[in-house]
Amino acid sequence: MEDTVLNPTSSPQSSNRRAVRFDDAQIIIGLEVHVQLDTDSKLFCGCSTRFGEAANSQTCVVCTGMPGALPVINQRALELSIRAGLSLNCQIARSTKWDRKNYFYPDLPKGYQISQFDQPICGPGHLDIETSDATGQARRIRIERAHLEEDAGKSIHDESSRRQDSKIDLNRTGTPLLEIVTQPDIRTAAEAKAFLSELKLILNYIDVSDCNMQQGNLRCDANVNLHIPLGDEQIATPIVEIKNLNSFRAVERSITHEAQRQFEAWQEHGLTIADAPKQTRGWNDHTQTTTLQREKEDSADYRYFPDPDLIAVKIEESQIQEIESQLEQLPADLRKLLAEQYNLKSADASVIVSQGRGVVDYFLKVADGCEDSKIANNWIGQEVLRQLNESNQTIEQYPVSPQQFTDLLKLVIAGTLDQTRGKEVLNAMVADCISPEEAVQQLGIKPVDNNELVSLCEKLIDENQDVVEQIQSGNGKAIGMLIGKARKINPNANPGLVKAMLSKMISA
Amino acid sequence: MSETPEQPTVNQVARLARIHLDDQQLTSSGEKLEQILEFVSQLEQVELPKDVEPFFGAIESVNAIREDNLQTSVPREKILDNAPESDGEFYLVPPVFRNTDS
Repeated sequence: MEDTVLNPTSSPQSSNRRAVRFDDAQIIIGLEVHVQLDTDSKLFCGCSTRFGEAANSQTCVVCTGMPGALPVINQRALELSIRAGLSLNCQIARSTKWDRKNYFYPDLPKGYQISQFDQPICGPGHLDIETSDATGQARRIRIERAHLEEDAGKSIHDESSRRQDSKIDLNRTGTPLLEIVTQPDIRTAAEAKAFLSELKLILNYIDVSDCNMQQGNLRCDANVNLHIPLGDEQIATPIVEIKNLNSFRAVERSITHEAQRQFEAWQEHGLTIADAPKQTRGWNDHTQTTTLQREKEDSADYRYFPDPDLIAVKIEESQIQEIESQLEQLPADLRKLLAEQYNLKSADASVIVSQGRGVVDYFLKVADGCEDSKIANNWIGQEVLRQLNESNQTIEQYPVSPQQFTDLLKLVIAGTLDQTRGKEVLNAMVADCISPEEAVQQLGIKPVDNNELVSLCEKLIDENQDVVEQIQSGNGKAIGMLIGKARKINPNANPGLVKAMLSKMISA
Repeated sequence: MSETPEQPTVNQVARLARIHLDDQQLTSSGEKLEQILEFVSQLEQVELPKDVEPFFGAIESVNAIREDNLQTSVPREKILDNAPESDGEFYLVPPVFRNTDS
C-alpha cells in the first residue's frame, strides 16, 4: 500500500496538502470494548472461567470443539449482558441468536467463534461522559450495539530468535465476553480514555465485570481516522483499527500516535478512505508506535451464518423489567446525589464516586451520621483514601467502621479535637483497631481548662517578646510561631483557643 | 435479498478455507459451486408476504438455557491426547510469527 502514489509528492495537490496543519484535522474515533462477564462457568459449557489456573486444566469437549459436542447458553451471561445494556441505555433485544464467525487461528479450536451477527442482545444506546474541555458539558457517545461472544484461547509465542513452536492454552476458550461497540462519536484521545473510565466504573458498580485490565478482562480496539479540510472539500483518511490496547494509557497514546501518523502519510501520499481498505495495526508499547498487521478482512470474509447448534433466545419484557428493578444507582446518579443533596463540589463528588460503590456507601453513612457532609468529604476524600492507598486496602478492609468514623468526626465538629489531634486519633484507631474514645485515652488527650490556658499564654508572651513585637508591628502571621510553641508545651491546647487568647492579650 | 450478491470466486473461497486446489479441482469446484448457487437461488423466486419473520433454523423451540454451574473439566492428559503435538501442558503449533518484523 505504501508504494501506491496517487498524487505524487511534487504535484500541485501535494503542495495543497502540505499547507494543511495537523490542528485543522478532526480525529474520528470509535471503540470496540471486550469485557469479560463475571460468571463462574463458561458461555456454553460448565468449565471454570477462573484466571491463572494450570494451562489446559479447564477445558472439555464443548470448548475444545470436539465433533458432536453441543453448546448450551449460560443464563447468568444473558442476565449480565442485559444488565450492562440497560446501564448503557441500550434497547434490549426481545429475540437474539447466535452466529458462527469463521476464521483460522491456532487458539480457536473450532475454526469459528460463536458470536452474534445480526441480532445482538443489546441494540443502540448511549453513554454520557464528563469532559475537561472549556464548555464543561457532558458529551454523549452513542453505543451502536453490544453482543455476546466466546473468547478464544491464549497463544504464547517464542519471542527469541529461535522461533520455537507456539504454545496454546485453551483455558480461556469459551469465556463469555460482551463486545460493546460505539459509534464514531469520540473526538480526542482524552475522550476515549474518559469513555473507557466511565464504562469500567459502571460495569464495576453493576457487578457485570471486574474489568481487570492486567488479566485481560477489559480489552479495547480503537478505529481511528481523520477528517481533513482541503479547500472546499473534506477528506477522510483510510480507517485503521488499532489492536492490542491493554491499558488506558495505551489507548490514549496509540490514538495520538496514529492520528499523527495518518496525517503525515496523507501529506505524503494523499491516500483517502476511497483508495485503501481498512487496516489493522498493532500497538507496540515498547516503541510507542503502531505497525501494520494486515489488511482487514471484511465481514463477508468471516462467512457468518446462524449456528445450527444453538437456538434463539426470547427475552420477555417481564425479565427485562425484573433486571432493571434490581439495578442500583449508577455512578452518574451518585455524582448528582453527592453534588445536589450533600453539597459537594463536582470534582469532590467525582473522586468519591470513582473509588467504587463501597466508598460511596461509607461516605453516605458518615455524612448522614455526623450531619456535616463537607467535613465527611474532607476526611474521607483525603485521609481515608490516602490511608487505603498506602496500605493497598479496599474500604471493606479498612479497620475503622463508618460508625466509629462518625463518632470521631463528631468530636472534631464539637471542637473537642482539633484537626491535628483528630488525625492523630484516626491514626491510632487505624493502627490499633480501637474506638475514638480508646484512642483519645491512649493519646492522653484531655480538655485544657481556662486557667491553664491563660497561664500558658502569659508564659509564651513573657518568653517571646521578639515575636510579640513582630505581631504588634503588623506581622499577623508570626502568631503561628507562638501557637506551635504552645502545642509543644501542652499538646492538648486547642490551637484555635490559644490563637484567640493570644491575640486578645497582645492587642490589649 | 432482491439483489444478487457478487459471486465469490472459487479462489477466494479456497483461500478462506485454507485449502489448496489444483487447476483441475478449481474448474470442477467452480462448476459445482455454480450449480449449488443456482439451486439455492430458486428460493429467491418465492414471494413472501411482508410480515413473515425470517427463520434461522429447522427447530422452532427457543430458550435452551443452563444455570451458571460448574462442571468438572476433562483431565489435561486426556484432552491433550487429541493434540497432534503437545508438551504435556500446552498444545504445540508451528510458530505463528515467522518474521521478526511482521
